[in-house]
Amino acid sequence: MQPTPKQAAEAIGINKSISRNVGDQLIRLVLFLAASVSVVTTIAVVYSLSAETISFFLDPAVSLWEFLTDRRWTPLFGESQRYFGISPLIIGTLNVTFVALVVGIPLGLGSAIYLSEFATARTRRTIMPLLEILAGIPTVVLGYFALFFVTPILRDIIPGLNLFNPISAGLVMGFMILPTISSISVDSMQAVPRAIREAAYGLGASRVEVVLKVVVPAALSGIVASFILAMSRAIGETMIVALAAGAKPTFTFDLRETIATMTSFIVQAAKGDQPAGSIGSRALYAVGSTLFLLTLMLNIASNQIVRRYAERYE
Amino acid sequence: MSVSILSDAERKRIEGKRRRGKAFVAVTAVPVVLALLLVATLFFDVITDTVSWQIVEPSQTTASWSFSEGFAWGNTWENVVTKELEARGEDPAAVLNNPEERRRFKLRNRVELLWSLNGQPLRYVVSNSRDDTVDNIGVFEGFNNQEALLANLRDGQELRLNPWLDFAFLSKNASRSPLMAGIGFAFIGSLWVIGLVILFSLPIGVGAAIYLEEYAPDNRFTRFIELNIRNLAGVPSIVYGILGLYAFVRLFNFEVTVISAALTLSLLILPVVIIASREAIKAVPPSLREASYGLGASKWQTVSRVVLPNAVAGITTGMILAVARAIGETAPLLVVGAAGFIPRAPSGPLSEYTVMPIQIYAWVGENDPEFANVASAGIVVLLTVLLVLFGAAFYLRRRFERSW
Amino acid sequence: MSQTVPENHVTVRTDPVAQEDALVAIDHLSLWYDQFQALRDVSLTVPKNQVTALIGASGCGKSTLLRSINRMNDLVPSVRVEGKIHYEGAELYDASVDAVEVRRRIGMVFQKPNPFPKTVYENVAFGPRLHGYKGNMDELVEKSLKGAALWDEVQDKLNQSGLGLSGGQQQRLCIARAMATEPDVILMDEPTSALDPIATDRIEQLIHEIKKDFTVIIVTHNMQQAGRVSDRTAFMHLGVLIEEGPTDQIFTNPQHEMTENYISGRFG
Ligand SMILES: Nc1ncnc2c1ncn2[C@@H]1O[C@H](COP(=O)(O)OP(=O)(O)OP(=O)(O)O)[C@@H](O)[C@H]1O
Ligand SMILES: [Mg+2]
Repeated sequence: MQPTPKQAAEAIGINKSISRNVGDQLIRLVLFLAASVSVVTTIAVVYSLSAETISFFLDPAVSLWEFLTDRRWTPLFGESQRYFGISPLIIGTLNVTFVALVVGIPLGLGSAIYLSEFATARTRRTIMPLLEILAGIPTVVLGYFALFFVTPILRDIIPGLNLFNPISAGLVMGFMILPTISSISVDSMQAVPRAIREAAYGLGASRVEVVLKVVVPAALSGIVASFILAMSRAIGETMIVALAAGAKPTFTFDLRETIATMTSFIVQAAKGDQPAGSIGSRALYAVGSTLFLLTLMLNIASNQIVRRYAERYE
Repeated sequence: MSVSILSDAERKRIEGKRRRGKAFVAVTAVPVVLALLLVATLFFDVITDTVSWQIVEPSQTTASWSFSEGFAWGNTWENVVTKELEARGEDPAAVLNNPEERRRFKLRNRVELLWSLNGQPLRYVVSNSRDDTVDNIGVFEGFNNQEALLANLRDGQELRLNPWLDFAFLSKNASRSPLMAGIGFAFIGSLWVIGLVILFSLPIGVGAAIYLEEYAPDNRFTRFIELNIRNLAGVPSIVYGILGLYAFVRLFNFEVTVISAALTLSLLILPVVIIASREAIKAVPPSLREASYGLGASKWQTVSRVVLPNAVAGITTGMILAVARAIGETAPLLVVGAAGFIPRAPSGPLSEYTVMPIQIYAWVGENDPEFANVASAGIVVLLTVLLVLFGAAFYLRRRFERSW
Repeated sequence: MSQTVPENHVTVRTDPVAQEDALVAIDHLSLWYDQFQALRDVSLTVPKNQVTALIGASGCGKSTLLRSINRMNDLVPSVRVEGKIHYEGAELYDASVDAVEVRRRIGMVFQKPNPFPKTVYENVAFGPRLHGYKGNMDELVEKSLKGAALWDEVQDKLNQSGLGLSGGQQQRLCIARAMATEPDVILMDEPTSALDPIATDRIEQLIHEIKKDFTVIIVTHNMQQAGRVSDRTAFMHLGVLIEEGPTDQIFTNPQHEMTENYISGRFG
């Protein structure tokens, strides 16, 4: 009788063994679960934020309209003086972010151009790790530096500057985001093909012209993406603001005033140990949701842009 | 010779262009210099802040004015304390041999290395927590006004140069008195938290990276996981604190313990660990995998015996950098309730904790200006730890940069 | 070069291999990468303890065919296979067969030497360790290195990195590594294309020597090499097996016009 294929395979020992099969599937499952942790984390983030945020808006003391339009934010105060308008926190965040970007974008882009186009390979290899160290300095240390070193100097220069102010915080934050802008921009400039540069050189362009008229425009989407990512970093940064910019929600565009950002409010509310379920605790989650949505949008935008330019040169 | 070819105007134009080009290069180099200058200034400022001039009066309750004597450099702690107690007219053996007395003595007194302008240049001094600091002056200010400061000293007062960062600082713990404050518990707390963070995030991060690089089918769910990781990497760290507060502190009821901090930080660095591990795994050449499969290795055998051993340097580098980030994180831990002052050293996953950045933050918030010096001493310790980690990461990266 | 092959081409076979000599029998095998068909109804019988050469122009599917034999193609997600490969009475593409076990019996040597970044010794011991080899490992390593004519050169470098060897030595190390798992068949995909003439010569000699213990299937671009090392030759074009037969027959008296053109260098 003709053996079945299975018997034939067994006869020479190349059949699938149950134990190996089970072992392989088990390993695959374990690894899959490890990879799924990130999905679970996302779900948990969204769930924890939204559950308490919904409770926040369901509270009779709060209305969405007030949240969006009122210019006062005092959720931790007594019942008679509580106001729930998030705009002071948004404005405060924007003040700091504005200063940070004004400092960080030119510095980041300039250093990226230098490192990618002008520096020797050796210089680049020395400086990049140093920039990484700058990026790796804990923000509580940067906050200390802003408060105890930068602020006193600025107060000598700028009249009427408060002890806690967005300028000092933003200035230091600008340096914090510099490595982000720089490294992503360097990557995207390095991705510009040699052939394009050589074509420009072949037409008699100088080094500077090649950089400004060929490389930077070709790498523009990556550069813009780095700005957006840096902006998201600045918005989400906490310790520098909490230490150097203060925690007094103020609806003002005067950069000398003490303000509060979304993040510094969260710290303040958390430190005050609001009991779970209280309106103060829920306000923390509501601000957290706003912060999360804002930074998520920026990150998605930045990723999208990066991905598009990555495809172009493949 | 070339003179004859170019007209004068032409040459000037080219000259100008070249000059402008050079200027442009210089301008782009400025930010790099500024960034490096900022790092240097920061380190300099923090380090100089760890030293201050102090005008000190002995506490009214302590009989002897011990530090006018001082003890020579090279004495052991026991030695210094024995002499100090003798000078105070107490029995050294009674204090040192009784554990309870010894503990109490340590809590109130600190042996430190000091320069005092009316004594020997460098010596040990036993300070008492009840000694009164009349004034605290920055290093440079103190240097410039030394004469005046000395002239204005009142009877019994002393002007000393106090380096806040000394060995006592490493073993002392949180205290209401800046002189007695140290980073001991916070350092132990950081070790506990980071130990657990590694325990959680290394296997999960590397496992996820292996799955995505070696196992995952190219389908929607895989792409969804990847998208998730990318987006999580950009979520502000404080949001992880909110998650930790909701899930670990309240829902799982871990409260304010080492484990809720460790879980929060693990989730925070997980995307970084995954991304770095994927890069390292991707860098292992496919030809090695083929060789392994060609020899009849199964997928897991190939991964565990060929891919991982060749990716281990890259994974370690990524892990070190991620851990460095976790060590310095403050905001999420503030949200999950970490406090600056704890009564006992953390001793396990379920004990109360503080960590170095939280401790520093608490010190910065203190009213007493001497705490700024204490905070800077803490910062120097924290930065030293981080620099060692960065150094290790850069060394590994250089050492194992391999071209296949 | 872009000569088309008629849809109904029947492989020309000279002196076909007798059933009882066959070790591997490829039976109406077709293979697709997504939509692209890389193998078209290929049937080829490979005799035991002989060297079979696969020749043909670049992109004709030689590597694809070779990698189908030990199911390395399973690692490419887009691959779809139809047809059968018989091996010692079993059918390699049957659902009950474990591809990993197949590769243990049908080993492979690649175009570019790819030793692991481990010691020479560990490279050779890798396969036996995988499969839980119980015997004396030192002896097996020595035997394999001798079998690959490498022992004399590396016997006092056993604990040095395999990457430190010359290209030709690395390739022989890879052959030794494949031999150490004691397979029946060794597949070689252009094993000498990255090597200099002297190293090539050594490997060719080696192939001659090992055929008493192993059945070898070798892909080569080099006509002279096919002529020197192989007993039988199969010529492929655009995924179709055009002609196969004893090497001297194929080279001196090709039956099909395309084979003749290829061998005489008129295309490819
Ligand atoms: N992984 C793959 N995915 C899609 N197409 C492939 C893949 N591998 C090979 N092909 C295609 O299949 C055809 C046969 O490829 P194969 O590598 O087998 O050719 P070859 O005869 O070995 O060529 P060469 O002599 O250049 O090595 C080619 O057209 C090739 O482009
Ligand atoms: Mg090929």
